[in-house]
Amino acid sequence: MKRRNFIATTTAAAVGTNILGGVRLKAFNPDHLMNIQADDDRILIVIQMFGGNDGLNTIIPVDASEYYDFRPNIAVKKSSAVNVLSQIYMHPALDTPKYPSAYNLRRMMEDGRLAIVQGVGYENPNLSHFRSTDIWLSGFNTSDPEARLVNGWLGRFWSEKIQGFPQSLPAHPTAVQIGGSLSMLLRSPKGDVGIALTDPNKFFELGQGLSPDLDPMPEDTRYGREFNFVRLVAEQSDLYSSVVKQAYDAGRNMISYPDNAFVRQMQLVARLISGGLKSKVFLVYMNGFDTHVQQQNSDESGLHPYLLESLSAGVGAFMQDALQQGFADRVVGMTVSEFGRRPFENGSNGTDHGASSVQFVWGNKVRAGVYGTTPDLVNLNSNGDLRYQWDFRRVYADVMEYWFGGTPEETETVLQERVLPLGVLQRPTSVDDAFSGRFRVGIKAFPNPFSTSTTLEWMQESPASVTIDLYSTAGRFVETIYAGSVQPGLVRIPIVPSASGAYICNVSVNGINNPVSLQCLR
Amino acid sequence: MDRRDLLSNFFRLGVRDNSPQVLEMPVTGGVELHTDPLTLNDVYHLLRRIGFGATVVQAKSYVGKTASEVVDELLGSASETAPESPGTWVDVINEDPEGADLQTRGAIYNQWEINMGKLATWWIDLMRTDPKAVEKLTLFWSGHWTSEFTFDIKYSIPQTLYRQYLMLRSHRIGDMKQMALDVTLDNAMLYYLGGTLNDAGKPNENYGRELQELFLLGIGWYTEGDVKEAARVLTGWKSQRYVEEPAPNGIYNSWFEAAKHDTGAKQYLGQTIPARTPDNNTEYQVKNEEVFELIKIIFRERPEAASRFLATKAYKFFVYSSPLDVDPIFIEDLASAFRNANFDLKVLFKTMLTSKHFFDPAIRGAQIKTPLELVVGLMRQLGQVDSQAYGWGIKMDQTLMDTPDVSGWPGYRSWISTNTYPQRRSFASKLVESMSDSRVNEFIREFDDYTDIVKLTTNIVDYLLPAPVTTERLDYYVQTVIQGAPTYEWPGILGNPTTAAARVRNLLLSISKAPDFQLC
Repeated sequence: MKRRNFIATTTAAAVGTNILGGVRLKAFNPDHLMNIQADDDRILIVIQMFGGNDGLNTIIPVDASEYYDFRPNIAVKKSSAVNVLSQIYMHPALDTPKYPSAYNLRRMMEDGRLAIVQGVGYENPNLSHFRSTDIWLSGFNTSDPEARLVNGWLGRFWSEKIQGFPQSLPAHPTAVQIGGSLSMLLRSPKGDVGIALTDPNKFFELGQGLSPDLDPMPEDTRYGREFNFVRLVAEQSDLYSSVVKQAYDAGRNMISYPDNAFVRQMQLVARLISGGLKSKVFLVYMNGFDTHVQQQNSDESGLHPYLLESLSAGVGAFMQDALQQGFADRVVGMTVSEFGRRPFENGSNGTDHGASSVQFVWGNKVRAGVYGTTPDLVNLNSNGDLRYQWDFRRVYADVMEYWFGGTPEETETVLQERVLPLGVLQRPTSVDDAFSGRFRVGIKAFPNPFSTSTTLEWMQESPASVTIDLYSTAGRFVETIYAGSVQPGLVRIPIVPSASGAYICNVSVNGINNPVSLQCLR
Repeated sequence: MDRRDLLSNFFRLGVRDNSPQVLEMPVTGGVELHTDPLTLNDVYHLLRRIGFGATVVQAKSYVGKTASEVVDELLGSASETAPESPGTWVDVINEDPEGADLQTRGAIYNQWEINMGKLATWWIDLMRTDPKAVEKLTLFWSGHWTSEFTFDIKYSIPQTLYRQYLMLRSHRIGDMKQMALDVTLDNAMLYYLGGTLNDAGKPNENYGRELQELFLLGIGWYTEGDVKEAARVLTGWKSQRYVEEPAPNGIYNSWFEAAKHDTGAKQYLGQTIPARTPDNNTEYQVKNEEVFELIKIIFRERPEAASRFLATKAYKFFVYSSPLDVDPIFIEDLASAFRNANFDLKVLFKTMLTSKHFFDPAIRGAQIKTPLELVVGLMRQLGQVDSQAYGWGIKMDQTLMDTPDVSGWPGYRSWISTNTYPQRRSFASKLVESMSDSRVNEFIREFDDYTDIVKLTTNIVDYLLPAPVTTERLDYYVQTVIQGAPTYEWPGILGNPTTAAARVRNLLLSISKAPDFQLC
């Protein structure tokens, strides 16, 4: 119910009318104000699905006959796929048949806590696991194979946000990765912004007293640089092992979690949050999505369904726990996977590396629903793979700007490119906004589609600074049309794109995005 | 902030900028031969990188020789004798557990886990006692041509990994093309990357892709079409894993199933591999005319890419693993030497490890020790064995013959995290503390001038740390031994073996706490 409140509706993209600032104030119910104050406690959970998740066997295109032609042995039958809200068909494994009473992704979608982004990918898809993973984690889409990708978008974002990093370390680790070697995602040019841990008790036992009794060295030699790198990790081990242990001991889980390796990671994250760990980012990892061989049996069980079920059960259990413990509003999560699979099955009842795929974004603060259309199985790219609809970094821009309170300039610095948020997360609204006219305006474009030019028109209540940019439909920046200020009254601005095409035209009014779809046909 | 400011910021991130980061201490040495006679510290440096660290006796025997002589000796010869087998289990073959009853299946999996432990422990022991650099080079290859022991929900059978180890060891300094051929048809590899499922009309692209992307060329040098065509060339080869499977070449040896080979013509890297008739669709002919031809085409059509790719990989493993600091000029010279020698691996390794670049002070101490370099190295240097060495590697994220994925261990700073660093410290402390009094006293006496505490401490520091330390730091280490007593009292302390051992253990513990103890 909370999600249906006034703010949620007014931040929806489809708003078509002017709303006065005074009216807006009604929206600030106490519940929402609390969330604003808790901005600092916002948490992102990234679930990395390594190997390349098969999007076509995740959200099933049941009405595409090509799907069944391409995949005679491993397609999911329409009769067994799970229809949710008459919008999409999920793989039955996402309904967690092994845990019939568990909260899961199907139920989260019904409750308005799940966004499904179809057709996520990027230009010139790279079909190497490693290169494509690096592209996803770094947030740089470079087609230059020599370009070296060595740090991550979240690492760069947070290394600039943390005061004094790395000379002084924050009291709590900014990011926590469960298991493994620290991911590129959390690395930055200034050093790692996160820690990796597997078992808080073991970490505490071994991490105590590891601070080196030696000062940093000058950074002018390779030896000095690596010395300082090791020294920082030693310091982090010492400092954070007790912080993590305290949170672990103080924290709890209020529901019983299914017993599964991935689910246990989500359970640990919930417990650390519950115990007061102030980390901004948690990274959990699933492996096994590289399903070249026997990905699914004829009864729709098998490796890939198992992984989907684990994912759904893990996210669901976490969400249920978070709801019971009252921290659900502070957490959003997203899945990342380096690519999808080929539309065709291969000869081994599996699928080879493909291009675009599906992404889940979840939490109380997502704008739930399905983004993008069912993948087009007729009009494939030159390699016979699915075309992408959304640049993968659009959701990153949502995270930085709408979730962590960054600015578009910071997004551009981190991604080295202007990327428009997809709008999959609710934008935080602050009291300041109400007094500065920072609200969405209702913008009309006429004519649309058009051949030469169209005109944008809206009613402006107060003086405002306005920037109008064109983006590709996937969300990559194309050109700036207008930058300047406008006076109160009816605003009319002509738009003449340099080239024919479909665009997202973003009208930024005092920093608030107002996306309008345009079609220029010449 | 305008766009230009933003762009200058981006270069600061060091991502688009291909030139190595400017340091005040550049590497001046290039590919030319380092001709000076080796000093003790040169020998330590060489042995840390080419092997798992020098023992004191070994190091002394190399001082004064040239890099060329010593590296020749350490690389060994192609016909190095094979080690004694790890046990009779290597020739035991099981039934396919998939078809077996639950109890049998569990027993087989369990046996494989036990065998894997035996195999890894056996190999680690060879590394620890290796008088040359045979095992370190084989380890390099094992992390390059990966075949994970466990992946997805499958196993590479340890018996097959043992055979793969022997194959890699025999090719370690040989002809790269022959090595690539034998790996491509290796029994464990055929299973690991789906080659055994790659049949005519039902291609599985997995190995064909990785051969180009991860093993020989790197991305950017082939098209998606080449991936598909390579997969067609490689159809028809079967792994041999179970007693009920055909074994025309003997157990655990791959074989060719003619009916599963795609006999049509293939277009690969712009070259044609002609179609064949049923009567020349034989194991011998397809191996030589298609599989070997595919590999030769790679080296013929992409010699620069292939030589640079491997030179870079070797450089990162043996010299400096930072991806932003791979010296492009050195790599080009190294790659060119490798190409000109028709991809003779001995030339690649020898050129690299005897170069002025390799002995340049600027690269000493810059390499982060891999877990096995730390574990095997410390055991070797202290003359102390930990029977759980394989397990320590696992705790530090390096499971022998079981890389995290097909690209091998990511290396460099990924080795050190808050997960693994505490394990590294714990291992070192436990190993030092496990040294008996008599072992510590022997250790002390391996060094020259051991009755002089300042000299002894300096020697031990040089032995265990990769670069000279400041005077203050050396004084601090001397103090951990003599604990406030005047230095001339050290011979007296030595007279009491228990006290001397306790003091030197303290010194070793203190050294193991330093960040540069993790470097080599």
